[in-house]
Amino acid sequence: MTDLAFSKDAMKEYEWMLTRYPNKEAALLPTLRIAEREFENLDPAAMKYVADLMGLSPAKVLGVVTFYTHYRREGTGTYHLQVCSTLSCALRGSEDVCAHLSAKLGVGLGETTDDGLFTLSKVECLASCDTAPMLQCNDDYHEGLTLEDVDHLIDRLREEAKAGGAA
Amino acid sequence: MSDSGAGMVSWVLNGDPVESPAGMTILEAAKAHGAELPHFCYHPGLSIAGNCRICLVETNRSPKPAISCSERISDGLEVQTHSEKAVEAREGVMEFQLINHPLDCPVCDKAGECTLQDYSFDHGPDESRFVEKKNIRHTKDLGPTIKIWGNRCIVCTRCIRFCDEISGTGELCVVARGDRSVVDVFPGIPIDNPLAGNVVDICPVGALISKDFMFQSRVWNNEHTETVCGGCARGCNVTVETNEGFVKRLMPRENTDVNDWWMCDFGRYGWRYAHDDRRVSVPRRGAEAVETELEAHRDLGELVRGAWGGSKKVAIVVDPFLTCEEAHLVGRVAAGTGATVGGWLPPSGDELTFPGKFKISGEKCPNRRGVEAVLGQEVFGSQAKAVESMLNSGGVDLVIVFAGFPNADCPDALASAVGKATARVAFTLFDGAWSEAADLVLPSASVFEKEGTYVNEDGRLQRVRSKDRPGDAQLAQPGLHSASISSPWVTSELVALQRALVHVGDAERSLSAAGVFRQLADSNEHFKGQSHRGIPATGVPLGGLAPAGVGEGSES
Ligand code: SF4
Ligand code: SF4
Ligand code: FES
Repeated sequence: MTDLAFSKDAMKEYEWMLTRYPNKEAALLPTLRIAEREFENLDPAAMKYVADLMGLSPAKVLGVVTFYTHYRREGTGTYHLQVCSTLSCALRGSEDVCAHLSAKLGVGLGETTDDGLFTLSKVECLASCDTAPMLQCNDDYHEGLTLEDVDHLIDRLREEAKAGGAA
Repeated sequence: MSDSGAGMVSWVLNGDPVESPAGMTILEAAKAHGAELPHFCYHPGLSIAGNCRICLVETNRSPKPAISCSERISDGLEVQTHSEKAVEAREGVMEFQLINHPLDCPVCDKAGECTLQDYSFDHGPDESRFVEKKNIRHTKDLGPTIKIWGNRCIVCTRCIRFCDEISGTGELCVVARGDRSVVDVFPGIPIDNPLAGNVVDICPVGALISKDFMFQSRVWNNEHTETVCGGCARGCNVTVETNEGFVKRLMPRENTDVNDWWMCDFGRYGWRYAHDDRRVSVPRRGAEAVETELEAHRDLGELVRGAWGGSKKVAIVVDPFLTCEEAHLVGRVAAGTGATVGGWLPPSGDELTFPGKFKISGEKCPNRRGVEAVLGQEVFGSQAKAVESMLNSGGVDLVIVFAGFPNADCPDALASAVGKATARVAFTLFDGAWSEAADLVLPSASVFEKEGTYVNEDGRLQRVRSKDRPGDAQLAQPGLHSASISSPWVTSELVALQRALVHVGDAERSLSAAGVFRQLADSNEHFKGQSHRGIPATGVPLGGLAPAGVGEGSES
């Protein structure tokens, strides 16, 4: 069903990754990271490729991918906004951040904007309690947020997208 | 149990000092001492997951309750299964299990055999404190035979471990996490393997549902008959569940010498032919129905009497679906008439062995070895050739054919050979060339209508049982068509052959299958010392029949 394949560099990285784990299965998480980078998101074709590559059942890979919130799933927007909702952030107003984003973008949690730019999720601890409330956008942390900061972030990302390049 | 020998552990169960073999888990050891503990995720045939926590007990080893299905016993361990602390812990678990459960027992197929229902009765609160919204999870097809009601899933992972460890096909996984987690398949890869049906059996709740059995009957209305599957020479131990005379489903019965806790889908769903409208259910002379079965059996007796004493050339073609008892009666007819006996096997299929050791035999019939043990090692070999050439060379006065092949899978050789005798009798499940050529057609009984014994490919003697015990019930009501008895079952070959022997004067009266087996045990080395009553529920290895090897031939 798929003619996806890792690039040469990605394959090299994968092979190196294997040497760092006691068995193949244990290397699944970092391999999924590579796949996410290579294929933009982990759609069924990408998961199937990883399963075949690692000799695991596709169902096992699906189970792992869906267990975590931090993998890019099929249909994720250009910018994945993951708002931490665990204790420190919750106490410091993460609910407001979520509600604000939801109103501003016109999407609910787990939804993607019509233009395909933003996906909004609420996630568990991102290990940045000292800078609560915070969110992660793709690979970047945005910390100590006020609602104005959130507005600025969205504006900036919109412009960036218009200029033709996601971070 | 009194010697604390090597490998034994002394521990205390509910205040009583007990001993168990080292290495056992608390749950297993307690069960061996008569204290059953509730369990969802634990299954004796699967690896230990320890995730459901309904098996919690109190011990002297830690202030926290222990997971009895995964914690092993050790010297000095003290376990309380029903202390206040243990019961409270399990009640807590139960309350959480029920948080998102839809409690839709009235429309759930598992109701009546659901462990969640049972434990809820034992441990559940009578009122829910949960006022929040319940999570909704998917209801969908997981494969051609299986559906999931995700809301009922308690994520015990039994089904997943089965596919990983026993069938080795790995189609199932848990998707998402926390209280949203539920079992699913990878998009485009449904659960579709020869053992798939087992996941429905082991699902402790009504999450996985067999489409074949869905909404067919409430389980408590089903009557249970412990028998063996006739689908192949493995002879899996099964329970046939019937309701008002109709098969509703087959369930595997535990037998660690044969099928563990499992059975294959071919056997599980392979019962429909027994209720096929096209089955031959009424005896016929040529195309014309015979008024009563008794009359047809008299016809058979008359033909056998005419050939008695060896004055005629007689051939008997047997099938490997006959019970040992029926084969014994065939042997008596053959002895009296000097008949040559041979038979054909159905086309063989693939032999499959799964990672969990479960095996499907390539021999698609249940009793080749039994028929051989009774009628001689060569009955399906050189004897079949002898019968075939005898029929093809002509001059055979009487041929009696047994064609109990499900789904009319009759070997071609049989069909072409039958037409060549002067008088032709065919026992058959379905019409075909062999029965169309016959003067007297008699219904064969399916595996579900037989009483007696089969010998599986390992030489294991096992009981075949029928809900309506046609061997007895119809003996008590001679003269009636099976179709006019309240059950849809037909009279078995066991009855017909005995009536013929009585007619000839070779037998005084017809016996039950157990009675015929006594004769067999008295006259045949392999069966010596056995009796129906003495055969354990899981069967017994038969003397002189080495597993999968060639035993010694013996003519009866
Ligand atoms: S579907 Fe049934 S067996 Fe599978 S995890 Fe859920 S409750 Fe357990
Ligand atoms: S393996 Fe053979 S005996 Fe067992 S269930 Fe399947 S067909 Fe029946
Ligand atoms: S049966 Fe022990 S944790 Fe499930």
